[in-house]
Amino acid sequence: MRIAFAGNPNSGKTTMYNALTGRSEKVGNWGGVTVGTKEYKIKDEYAGGREVIAVDLPGAYSMSPFTPEESITSEYVRTANPDAIVNIVDATNLSRSLFFTSQLLELGIPVVVALNKADINAKEGTEIDVKALSDKLGCPVFETTSTEGKGLSDVITKAIELAGGTQNAPYMQANINLQDKSAVDAEDRKRYKFVNEIVESVEKRKILSSETTSSDKADSVLTNPIAGILIFAAVMYCVFWVSQAWLGPMVADWLVGWIETFQEWVAGSLEESPAILSALLADGIVGGVGAVVGFLPLVMVMYFLIALLEDCGYMARVSVVMDPIFKRVGLSGKSVIPVVIGTGCGIPAIMACRTIRDERERRATSMLATFIPCGAKIPVIALFAGAFFSGAGWVSTLSYFFGLVLIFLGALLIKYITGYKYRESFFIMELPKWKTPSLKFAFKSMMERAKAYIIKAATIILICNTVVQVMQSFDWSFNVVEEGAENTSILASIASPFAILLIPLGFGVWQLAAAAITGFIAKENVVGTLAVVYGLTAFIDVEELELTGGANNVAMAMGLTSVTALAYLFFNLYTPPCFAAIGAMNSEMKSKAWLWGAIGLQLGTGYTVAFLIYQLGTLFTEGHLGTGFIPGLIAVLCMVAAVIYIGKRTRAHFDEQYNLHRNDGKHGATA
Amino acid sequence: MALLDAEPGMTYTVKEINTSDEDMNSFLFRLGCYEGEPITLISKKKKSCIVAIKDGRYNLDELLSEAIMV
Repeated sequence: MRIAFAGNPNSGKTTMYNALTGRSEKVGNWGGVTVGTKEYKIKDEYAGGREVIAVDLPGAYSMSPFTPEESITSEYVRTANPDAIVNIVDATNLSRSLFFTSQLLELGIPVVVALNKADINAKEGTEIDVKALSDKLGCPVFETTSTEGKGLSDVITKAIELAGGTQNAPYMQANINLQDKSAVDAEDRKRYKFVNEIVESVEKRKILSSETTSSDKADSVLTNPIAGILIFAAVMYCVFWVSQAWLGPMVADWLVGWIETFQEWVAGSLEESPAILSALLADGIVGGVGAVVGFLPLVMVMYFLIALLEDCGYMARVSVVMDPIFKRVGLSGKSVIPVVIGTGCGIPAIMACRTIRDERERRATSMLATFIPCGAKIPVIALFAGAFFSGAGWVSTLSYFFGLVLIFLGALLIKYITGYKYRESFFIMELPKWKTPSLKFAFKSMMERAKAYIIKAATIILICNTVVQVMQSFDWSFNVVEEGAENTSILASIASPFAILLIPLGFGVWQLAAAAITGFIAKENVVGTLAVVYGLTAFIDVEELELTGGANNVAMAMGLTSVTALAYLFFNLYTPPCFAAIGAMNSEMKSKAWLWGAIGLQLGTGYTVAFLIYQLGTLFTEGHLGTGFIPGLIAVLCMVAAVIYIGKRTRAHFDEQYNLHRNDGKHGATA
Repeated sequence: MALLDAEPGMTYTVKEINTSDEDMNSFLFRLGCYEGEPITLISKKKKSCIVAIKDGRYNLDELLSEAIMV
């Protein structure tokens, strides 16, 4: 038995779905968090031992879709024939929600209405006569509060009871020609009239929605073009500072102590075993994975704070305040949400682009969102900040800020390449009611992430590190590589050709090339691989390393200056994301040309940024250009030429189209 | 007059909506913003405004707020 969960955006569908199934799908206090269908078995305590599948759908305002994710919902309820529909209605906005409800009731599938957010209504003194509403709609209605799990079992028990039956509609659309716009309009007006009459008779409000409240005053500051942006910058700075310079490293220090002790213990108990086994286990597996796990607290704190932001309702305000800026470079205010989500992970960030209505804006955003360093890149940033810049907080701040700059520049570039001309792009954003963020929810979201991170470390990263360790320990004839002859290893011979390409960027050695390549599998691998190839661990323990001169040791072992280190860090941050994120990009863009364009843009950006930092940095610090300036310059100029060529071609194509149209007009029906 | 020229804090009746984009017009309709319906201007800035339509708050950009006549 399948029960579909449908309703307006931000009415609490996914929160209810999570409560009923025990899943932890992404929720947030803004419209359009869920962008695809999710389904899972409802817990026995609610389903009464029966096999009931809950289907969570993206929010929709009506059966006629406006954005891509809305069409998923209308198509599902029309064609997938669920046994029952639970219509989640935002009880604080009954007058809008019942429009969609009245359409759902026409499908003939049993509907149970969940009047969600009943707690807010109780607080605001809004009363809804549930019995009268149920009579008028001709379906059961229950008050619910999904965030506290209240009323859910009533809803689900009723839905199971009615499943498979039929539904009488209180309002039936007249038999009209759906192609005739004015007939459809008139019909919709009648439907709204029907809805308005119901609302009038069942709802009593203490606070009218037209009254200006204190939250409106806060909103007018937060959405102010100057104050709002400064506040947003300050909020994000706090998030990064707490997670990456203060609380995160504090916990990480403590954790790394334990990992080191464990590593020593493993090495100690393997003393009798062959050297190769001890190297593989102690250095490769425990060392490499440990180096990655050591950064876990930074990622966890970050997730906790971002979850608080997503839960309180601030995200919608941020997109409002950023809209004018993003619009100027050819994106939309809604592009901000993927960018903020992208600080956690690029995959949900790319998926969040689905709420952007314009196709070009949507594709451009999904192409650029990963320039913001994700959680997996935090270890990379922290490693370089610790080893080369004595843990300076500015490295991390600069990484994020520069990522944002690249998004703007990239957007301008895409605007140029696609020959985008000024087009009317509307922006409307619902401002949800403010909500005290739930610490429990943020904690859960953080633990979810920690679990995923540890699983990733124990699987993909563990395997990669083992493979790297083996490839580094043997040459092609499977002899153990002698000390001092590391360049003969399998890893060295594979990575060396790539390293040549990186010479103009200042880090043309096979070890660094290998680390950058494994980074495409998962970005944490950059740290893991560096730990393995240089035989280093406990990168994060900066204070202790400094005491023993260890931070210098790390820097010495890698043979990088601070300029080349920064170039290498930025190369890893702004090249294409991991394969999983590229896969997500592919499914959102639905165009091979755009996908390859995205990968090309990201590769070109990473290369150019690293090239400029290395060459200019060397010029400033040492008074001369770095090695390989000319070949690097040629490579960068080739990329610039490619961009200009593609841009010109698109423009010519546009002109051609335009000409055709004009000729059509002139010669009448020649075509 | 256009919504941006209206007085904040006042409730108006929508006279005309013309965004030159059919889909946008019908989207606004589904939110409850159409001719004859009330709309409250909560606050406004130079190039955008916040309105109350039905029981929801929305931020509209310059283009949209100029396309809604009250």
